[in-house]
Amino acid sequence: MMIIIALSFLLITFLNFRAGRSKALKIRENTSIHSLPEYYGYYTAFWFLIPVTLIGISWLLFSESLITSFVLSNLQKEIVNFNEIQTLNFINDFKNLSEGRNITGEISLLLKEAASLYSYFSTVSNTLLIFACLSIGLFGFYISINKVSSVFQARNAIERYINYFFLASTCIAILATAGILFSVVFEAIRFFGVVDLDDFLFGLKWSPQMAIREDQVGSSGAFGAIPLFVGTILISIIALLVAVPVGLMNAIYLSEYSPSNVRAYAKPMLEILAGIPTVVYGFFAAITVAPFLRGFGEFVGLSISSESALGVGLVMGIMIIPLVSSLSDDVISAVPQSMRDGSLGLGATKSETIKKVILPAALPGIVGGVLLAASRAIGETMIVVMAAGLSAKLTVNPLDAVTTVTVQIVTLLVGDQEFDSPKTLAAFALGLTLFVFTLVLNYYALRIVKKYREQYE
Amino acid sequence: MEEELDSNFKTVGNIRTEKSVIMNVEDCNVYYGDVHALKNVNMEIGKSEVLALIGPSGCGKSTFIRCLNRLNDTIDIARVTGKISLDGKDIYSDYINTSGNMDVVLLRARVGMVFQKPNPFPKSIFENVAYGPKIHGLCKDKNDLNNLVESCLVKVGLWDEVKDRLEDSGTSLSGGQQQRLCIARAIAVQPEVILMDEPCSALDPIATERIEDLISELKQNYALVVVTHSMQQASRISQRAAYFHMGNLVEVDSSNKIFNDPSHPLTTNYISGRIG
Ligand SMILES: Nc1ncnc2c1ncn2[C@@H]1O[C@H](COP(=O)(O)OP(=O)(O)OP(=O)(O)O)[C@@H](O)[C@H]1O
Ligand SMILES: [Mg+2]
Repeated sequence: MMIIIALSFLLITFLNFRAGRSKALKIRENTSIHSLPEYYGYYTAFWFLIPVTLIGISWLLFSESLITSFVLSNLQKEIVNFNEIQTLNFINDFKNLSEGRNITGEISLLLKEAASLYSYFSTVSNTLLIFACLSIGLFGFYISINKVSSVFQARNAIERYINYFFLASTCIAILATAGILFSVVFEAIRFFGVVDLDDFLFGLKWSPQMAIREDQVGSSGAFGAIPLFVGTILISIIALLVAVPVGLMNAIYLSEYSPSNVRAYAKPMLEILAGIPTVVYGFFAAITVAPFLRGFGEFVGLSISSESALGVGLVMGIMIIPLVSSLSDDVISAVPQSMRDGSLGLGATKSETIKKVILPAALPGIVGGVLLAASRAIGETMIVVMAAGLSAKLTVNPLDAVTTVTVQIVTLLVGDQEFDSPKTLAAFALGLTLFVFTLVLNYYALRIVKKYREQYE
Repeated sequence: MEEELDSNFKTVGNIRTEKSVIMNVEDCNVYYGDVHALKNVNMEIGKSEVLALIGPSGCGKSTFIRCLNRLNDTIDIARVTGKISLDGKDIYSDYINTSGNMDVVLLRARVGMVFQKPNPFPKSIFENVAYGPKIHGLCKDKNDLNNLVESCLVKVGLWDEVKDRLEDSGTSLSGGQQQRLCIARAIAVQPEVILMDEPCSALDPIATERIEDLISELKQNYALVVVTHSMQQASRISQRAAYFHMGNLVEVDSSNKIFNDPSHPLTTNYISGRIG
């Protein structure tokens, strides 16, 4: 049903297009006209389709809650002694019933009545909606087709609308980000109502489990996030120690030394590395690297935890090699050929040229790339969830098990939780911290990269 | 005008120099993949003289000049054949590794180059000039290096302008100053030949004049090969001139002869088209 309606609206849009165009064509028979006839068609079609879409979307957004409240107010006397949860269940049930889905429990007379009311109101609403859409759309069409004349600048109008379209899609992305941010901030504020900001940021002990006991909610959980930060940073540093040298040398080889046929194969290979899902890295870390390290540790007489920061960091390092390498490759290739020629022309060897001219020139960009990689490592979740520890031990020993911010967020939120316990709220606080941290890192990284790009433009 | 010369064309004029020979080019051919960019070039380059290379765009002037210090090696698809020697030593056969030949690093130290677009390194003015001496270990100590940098900057007439800001970035100078800095950088390694590929084409008339004066001064101690698109400039600064056309070296002779009484009709056309 909905599909047929939508299709017929599209058909009308098309007819409007034809109408606008043929009017323009007719005008063009006698006199010259500002834009190509198609633009007049787009213009009239636009003024039908856009009002219809806007009305349709906003109607559908609000109609359901409106209809529900109509139903409830019609049955006010019968449900007067329902409590909140009963009401919610009741609403769920009659919606399901009216849409022909199975519901648990017996179907009371009241429920049946509510369901029929609901479907009645729905039908009315839908009819009204179609009617409203049609009339407003056609009104728009009427106005716009009257505007079609030899002097009307349809081409410019369309250009403006296209501008708005792009603006709208950008707004959607920005609004979504803002929405997520606000909800995180909001929940984090609730958390900081229970737990001191200082205790959170500078506390040395993390054991949110204690707070789960009902009689203790918020009173004695230890939410000192330092161990998590330290663990996160430890793992990230190990990852960078792997990724930066390897990725950088990789980039130097690819951009300066490799013959073009090697590059043609090596680059796509690296991109495959970048395309491996992190979950695969995760079990690679947990199943291959960790046991190997532990075995190796036993062999040389070191005790290496099977969830050691070292193992996780190594694998994470491998994961971000392509990132470092491709960003560095970009900045190294962006160093103008004239720099190389200048240095080679003075009798420098290739490696001297790279060391003394190209790398210093590319350094800011490379630093930017490394910062981006760092923020990627800090935010990485899957590998650490699968291969890092859960216990929040405050240590900088890479052979020990540590936990990270992301791991804790996951463990805090997995399973059934009360959504207002400090334990759950702590996840939002951690998320916010992580967000702020990577935001700052990204901001500086991008600024550095940008500044570097301008240097040669 | 656009027709190619036939394949066994021989350069007219005089490929020998009156001065003593420093570089000698014999049967030099350059290919970029399938493109035959330089065809059978034979020519001598003499000490203490300025050789101007002229010719329409794409005729192979840059290609030729880049052969002389083997900068074409950096282009994957470029292939150079023939024999080019510096002081009688073949510069292209270093891979045979006999003492009679020369390795490319040494070659480029002895045959310096200045490019069309000034390309100072994004380092301080001092470091730009000190770059070559440092990598070749030309200076015993810091003092030595300071003196060398100063003398090079003095030679290019830049010292007074920059002596108080040697730590500023080389890229902060004006275009003309940058080009003089690049020349200072090139002479700091004490080369014997300096190649210049359109050194003034990115500069205004005043900066151009300074570079021209500088070229005339430098020719006392160096052999210079200068590519230029300006006939006036070529006749002002050069003692010999070579005219290239579609990869052929058409005519080479004293500048006097080339610019006043060229022998080959292609040269005549080009000269008169540009000047008259
Ligand atoms: N890197 C390259 N790859 C392929 N072909 C090239 C390359 N460099 C030059 N060529 C070709 O070689 C020929 C000679 O080029 P060259 O740069 O030597 O000309 P030019 O005389 O310096 O011209 P201009 O006065 O414009 O600088 C041209 O046909 C050019 O297309
Ligand atoms: Mg050129």
